[in-house]
Amino acid sequence: MPKDHGIGASQKRREDVRFLTGAGQYTDDISTYGQTYCVFLRSDVAHGTINNLDTSDAEAMPGVVRIFTGKDFEGIGGLPCGWQVTDKNGEPMKEPAHPVLAQGKVRHVGDPIAAVVAESLEEARNAAEAIVYDIDELPAVVDMKAALEAGAAKVHDDLDDNLCYDWQFGSDQAAIDEAFSNAAHVTTLDLINNRLVANPMEPRVALGEYNRANDESTLYTTSQNPHVIRLLMGAFVLGIPEHKLRVVAPDVGGGFGTKIFHYAEEAFVTFASRQINRPVKWTSTRSEAFMSDAHGRDHVTKIELALDADNNFIGLRTDTLANMGAYLSTFSSSVPTWLHGTLMAGNYKTPAIQVNVKAVFTNTVPVDAYRGACRPEATFQLERLVDKAARELGVDPIALRRQNFIDSFPYSTPVAVEYDTGDYTATMDKLEEMIDREGFEPAARRARPMASCAGSASTAISRPAALRRRTSWVSSARAPVSMTPPRCG
Amino acid sequence: MTKVTMTVNGKAVSKEVSGNTLMTEFLRDELHLTGTHVGCDTSQCGACVIHVDGQSVKACTMFAGEAEGASVTTIEGMANADGSLSVIQQAFQDHHGLQCGFCTPGMVMTAAALLKENPKPSEHEVRDYLEGNICRCTGYHNIVKAILAASGQDVSGIAAE
Repeated sequence: MPKDHGIGASQKRREDVRFLTGAGQYTDDISTYGQTYCVFLRSDVAHGTINNLDTSDAEAMPGVVRIFTGKDFEGIGGLPCGWQVTDKNGEPMKEPAHPVLAQGKVRHVGDPIAAVVAESLEEARNAAEAIVYDIDELPAVVDMKAALEAGAAKVHDDLDDNLCYDWQFGSDQAAIDEAFSNAAHVTTLDLINNRLVANPMEPRVALGEYNRANDESTLYTTSQNPHVIRLLMGAFVLGIPEHKLRVVAPDVGGGFGTKIFHYAEEAFVTFASRQINRPVKWTSTRSEAFMSDAHGRDHVTKIELALDADNNFIGLRTDTLANMGAYLSTFSSSVPTWLHGTLMAGNYKTPAIQVNVKAVFTNTVPVDAYRGACRPEATFQLERLVDKAARELGVDPIALRRQNFIDSFPYSTPVAVEYDTGDYTATMDKLEEMIDREGFEPAARRARPMASCAGSASTAISRPAALRRRTSWVSSARAPVSMTPPRCG
Repeated sequence: MTKVTMTVNGKAVSKEVSGNTLMTEFLRDELHLTGTHVGCDTSQCGACVIHVDGQSVKACTMFAGEAEGASVTTIEGMANADGSLSVIQQAFQDHHGLQCGFCTPGMVMTAAALLKENPKPSEHEVRDYLEGNICRCTGYHNIVKAILAASGQDVSGIAAE
């Protein structure tokens, strides 16, 4: 029954009128007096040494204000990762330098080599094409398994190998070994959660402005997260005190996570505007977005479920390779660990769960949080595994789920989350009623897409409310506060 | 530089532009009509759709000079004379046919072109006509619903998405 007020009522959005009349203000709609335009020269190889970088011809091109290279950023901070992860041996993750402009080496296609600032976009583009450079191409690692092999090409020369961290979480080895040695049946599944590019409709834009009268900088940026960008860029990259730095995020044309992070282009326009004392604007092209926006997912996982003779889940073990790309993006390290490992219990009372994650550097665009940020990956792995187990055992997949649902609350999972409440059985009852599961003949299941989805539609997701304050579909769950706090730097 | 003269949203405009100035650049940078968006610059996404002499056109792939003497309508010219939302715009709001709003100007302009050609399109015809417009937020269902509603058809039987 439609309602006109209160919970469940349809509300008209306040922002719709400006969006529908062309009056929205997205970052690229902002232009300031005296503005210059920036174009980045980006690497077209995945891995290489920059031998020669000659900007002299380009500097003489019409309209060029200044050309910046890695040299201009010597002694200036790189882009920090905002979350420290400690590996299973107690060692901190490897966090290699992430320069604003490449310092001697390029490590992925799209790695910025130089930036031209000019009076017009066209002049900046022309000058960027006139930069003379020579890159000695090096062997590139793209596949994660190959990247971990002995003798693989190293993404970062100053690291021992391409391993960022080897993380282990949940039940101890003895508990997990016991569960699997007692198993009447073990189901194993290998899964690839493919890499993707977020591609919001609005490409990223950054406009830096400097006021030398009061030494204040303003950054207008396509951002879901302006406060963190002010903190990271001010404190760790450019050394600008917070009260001298303003980050403005106007209307955002979609983000899907990829506009959460602090990017080199934001630091660049802020830095350059202070150097030339004029506003500097960069607008990404769509092609550039594929090479410079953080990508999502990219996991290769082996997951195993141990069941006893009565089909009770008694152990769960996962081994995941998580692609970090060439550098650690702002929250990249947290995604396959804390945002993923803590979800591996799902809605099941599996008493022993162990999550193993190796994060790997490769010569690819950095990977970070995207739509659900590893919670979908966790759920996908677990529920696909339960379906496979049901098929192997010849039992109904929904009955197998019902049998293993957590039915007493509060419930502490082996992966550090306490669920305060939930009623998965009632939710499953409702789901079966909604899809009329009883009424489906096998032929009808094949004919109707909804029916063929019945197995996966039974997936239930719990999301920790303390990480993100949102009530989950079927339960609200509370994460303990003992998680490692984000580290900056 | 060349002088171009045209009518934009009912107003005569005349500007000096270079021969390679795109229509999107002319509207956004010269006329400050920033409602026409650039999502891809290659005619894929449709966020830049405008009307030139009544025809829907992707403004990112047209030179400003090509609109010499034309009557151009952009999203800024789509509301009613009193400033209230037009039937199509109102239908988008009523049926939640937008989220981030970036593709919305192109969607509204394409919808207007469709309803001019085909005042009572079927759902299939609406979806077919939107082939050149990409939305990343809504999943299209509510956009289709909004356009059908704007055509005066009953959409109460179509479930909300």
